[in-house]
Amino acid sequence: MKVGIAVRLGLALALVGVLAAGLTGYYGYAESRAMLVAAAEERLLTSTRVLVRQLTVGLENTARDVCLIAEHPQAARLLRRADPAMQVSSERNVALLFQRMLETHPEYFQMRLIDAADHGLERIRVDRDVSGVVRIEGDELQEKGHYPYVFETVKLPAGAVYVSRAEINHEVGAHAGQGKPSLQVAAPIRDRADGPVLGLVVINVDLNGLFAQLAADLPPGLQLYLSNGRGDFLVHPDPGQAFAFDRGQRASVQEQFPATEALLTGRTGQAGQLVTTSRPAGREAVVAAFVRQHFTSLHSEDDFILGLSQPLAVVVEQSARLGGATLRIVVGFSALAVLLAFLLARALTRPLHQIVLAVRGYAPGLPSGRLPSARQDEIGVLARSIEDMQQQIRAQFDSLEEKQRALDRLASHDSLTGLPNRRLFLDRLDQALAHARRNDGHLALLFIDLDNFKTINDSLGHAAGDAVLCAAAVRLQQLVRASDTVARLGGDEFIMLLDGADDPEAIAHLAEKALRALAQPVMHKGQALQSGGSIGVSRYPHDATGATELIAMADKAMYRAKSGGRQRACFAEAS
Amino acid sequence: MTRIILWMKLRGVSLRLAPPVRLVVFILSGVFAAGAHAAGVLRVLAWPGYADAEVVRSFEQKSGARVELTVIDTDESLWQKVSANGGRDFDVMAVNTAELQRYIAADLVQPVDPARIAGTRRQLPRFRKLADIPGLVHVRQGRAEAYAIPYTYSTMGLIYDRRQFAEAPVSISALWEPRNKGKVLAYSGGAHSFSLAAQALGFPSPFRLQGAEWARAVDKLIELRRNVLGFYNRPEESVQLFLRHRVALMFANYGLQQLHMLRAAGADVGYVIPREGALAWLDCWAVTRGARDVDLVHAWIDHLLGDTASGLLARRQGLANTLVESDAGTSSDRIVWLAAVEDAPRREALWARIHSGDRATRVLAP
Repeated sequence: MKVGIAVRLGLALALVGVLAAGLTGYYGYAESRAMLVAAAEERLLTSTRVLVRQLTVGLENTARDVCLIAEHPQAARLLRRADPAMQVSSERNVALLFQRMLETHPEYFQMRLIDAADHGLERIRVDRDVSGVVRIEGDELQEKGHYPYVFETVKLPAGAVYVSRAEINHEVGAHAGQGKPSLQVAAPIRDRADGPVLGLVVINVDLNGLFAQLAADLPPGLQLYLSNGRGDFLVHPDPGQAFAFDRGQRASVQEQFPATEALLTGRTGQAGQLVTTSRPAGREAVVAAFVRQHFTSLHSEDDFILGLSQPLAVVVEQSARLGGATLRIVVGFSALAVLLAFLLARALTRPLHQIVLAVRGYAPGLPSGRLPSARQDEIGVLARSIEDMQQQIRAQFDSLEEKQRALDRLASHDSLTGLPNRRLFLDRLDQALAHARRNDGHLALLFIDLDNFKTINDSLGHAAGDAVLCAAAVRLQQLVRASDTVARLGGDEFIMLLDGADDPEAIAHLAEKALRALAQPVMHKGQALQSGGSIGVSRYPHDATGATELIAMADKAMYRAKSGGRQRACFAEAS
Repeated sequence: MTRIILWMKLRGVSLRLAPPVRLVVFILSGVFAAGAHAAGVLRVLAWPGYADAEVVRSFEQKSGARVELTVIDTDESLWQKVSANGGRDFDVMAVNTAELQRYIAADLVQPVDPARIAGTRRQLPRFRKLADIPGLVHVRQGRAEAYAIPYTYSTMGLIYDRRQFAEAPVSISALWEPRNKGKVLAYSGGAHSFSLAAQALGFPSPFRLQGAEWARAVDKLIELRRNVLGFYNRPEESVQLFLRHRVALMFANYGLQQLHMLRAAGADVGYVIPREGALAWLDCWAVTRGARDVDLVHAWIDHLLGDTASGLLARRQGLANTLVESDAGTSSDRIVWLAAVEDAPRREALWARIHSGDRATRVLAP
């Protein structure tokens, strides 16, 4: 298929336009999307950090509560067993204090004062129960010396606070806290700062309660994760994944969010944070931010890794909207580009087309098509150039035609007299004969030879001869009709073709007139040149039917006239 | 995008190569097929480290069968997987002798024929006498039949800090000694703890407590509680506590694995089998009731008794195999193989109270 320049130009322009619009749109979208996602990730990370801060503050508040009691003189007095009466009142006071604190802190499961002696026997214990806050007494008090929160805490310096690992509390008889995720926060009790450890105060924190409080402030759609330093989930949107290690299974943050491996490997006691995108098979992709927190001011057994996740769809929702808008803009501009390309291509190719038509339809002598020569641009220049060229061609063609006409004349006419020459005469004779044969017509030839011509020519010069010839030509010409032909055969020989002439009398009459005309003197340079003529007549079909024979017959008759005394006409005779 | 192209390429190649590949596989399977296992699949349930990738690979090459390995890590998950479909989902499993009993009782396993496993002839004599290992041989319809082939085992001896003991402790009573108070670690598990207490008290059977023995065992365990630093669950937890608190003596529930870990952590520790005898678990290969190709299962067991598999067990896991005598002093006369206990739920319930810190009266209260 032949593809025109307009189509190609239009396509190229449209392509460039669409490409420009598309690329601008794509890069704009990609850049904006990256910025939006980065901003969303930053928000998520900030929320996570805020949450970690709240967790830290919450734990520090609990630590303050523990210290407050551990450093209270009543606690040490109670453990010293100095005065039994005083001890009972101390126990009552501390138990009351515990009860008040449990009532004001819904996230506390249990508060205890544990004796360092007696294998870590609980001295005061207040538990949360379905019915409220209850004090546990007597036989129900247990020995806890073999639990880490006891044997680790009694080794701590004054003022230090122990925070246990987050575990499911399997201690039998722990009431509301039994079988629940808990965290123990404990502080040693001393008589004086450098004295021996007498016991400890322990608060069991309800991990779920604590995080329920934290999560309550979260915007909807965010999901909360908490793992220990090994990555085991402690809090998970799917409760089945939390504390899986307690059931002999494993559900870890690094499995679901492989990037968190970086927070876990060899980083005990170090803080860290990251944002990752996880695309679990069969579930929607989420963006999650994780912060590893080590409680520097507390003697914590383990670190926490806190995470917040948000569906990726929500994060990129804005950018999806942006993508839609970008797409519409790109499509719009592309359509505009295509339209402009079409118009531009047409504007450019229409004058070209006009020029092509003009050039193609150009013929000398004909008016050329309209050229856009009025334009002031390159196309106008081109059109004007073509116009100039056309004019040049026309001029050259005219002069060529002129020359051709002159050449034609030279070839068929006698240059001196302007009469048809022998060649043209023979042509006309052939035509006339052919016509006569078809129509049973007639014609006559008058062969004329000038008398005295040689004498005039030799005695008075060629110019005089020429003057005689020219005068003879003019006079003979005046005698005949337009349809008849007078030709100069050469030298002083003329011939007349009378088409349709048959009547011998009429022919003889014309021959008489010719003889009289030729006999008139010719004025040349003040001299009267006296000439005359002899005429031989042959007729068709009377004398001959062929051109050569007719001429020969007329010639012969002319010779008879000449030899018969000149100034006379003789008809051809059958020989 | 790249992945899609790659996939298409691979797909293209595989499509083009499919007929030749199938031909090669066909020829190779003809060459390597040993017996009738050519196109078979063997479904194996094993514990971590029991059948490493190279062990599986060499078996697949040798037998022409494909191995589907499922790794389990608790007795309970093993039980759930095998019992789920009457033992028809798997062909062979690794299970300890004590656990094996409930599978036999539930008719989830079938007898195994040691005569068809050439590798058994290379086992140590005490592992070849299956009838001497409690729970392996059962009499059915007048015939004594073996239900499992021993594979690996560990004693639950005592690990001690060589720098704190001039001489290695000789008795499990060392766990109760006041001079070790606060420097002892014990395992928090009901069944094993009561067996330990029964051994310390010199009861006839650590697995069959009766009558007044219960109360004495409870008292003994409360005593133990008062003497220990703490109780552990996981082996890595025990290693952490051992190192951090300069523990002197530990009841090694995980046996040689813990020894391996402690030594790897740089501890100067020794391992002893107490004179009362060490409780020990013995993991065996057993054939499920629903095994599809019993010949192939026997070939698998034979393969695992070979040098490659059993050697890796010792080198990588620090576990003993049944081919060579372990260097950890496991002389046969002082090993007490775990057996099913008389009342596992009761042991666990009592232990939960003991571990929670209750005193004897409350522990034994109904």
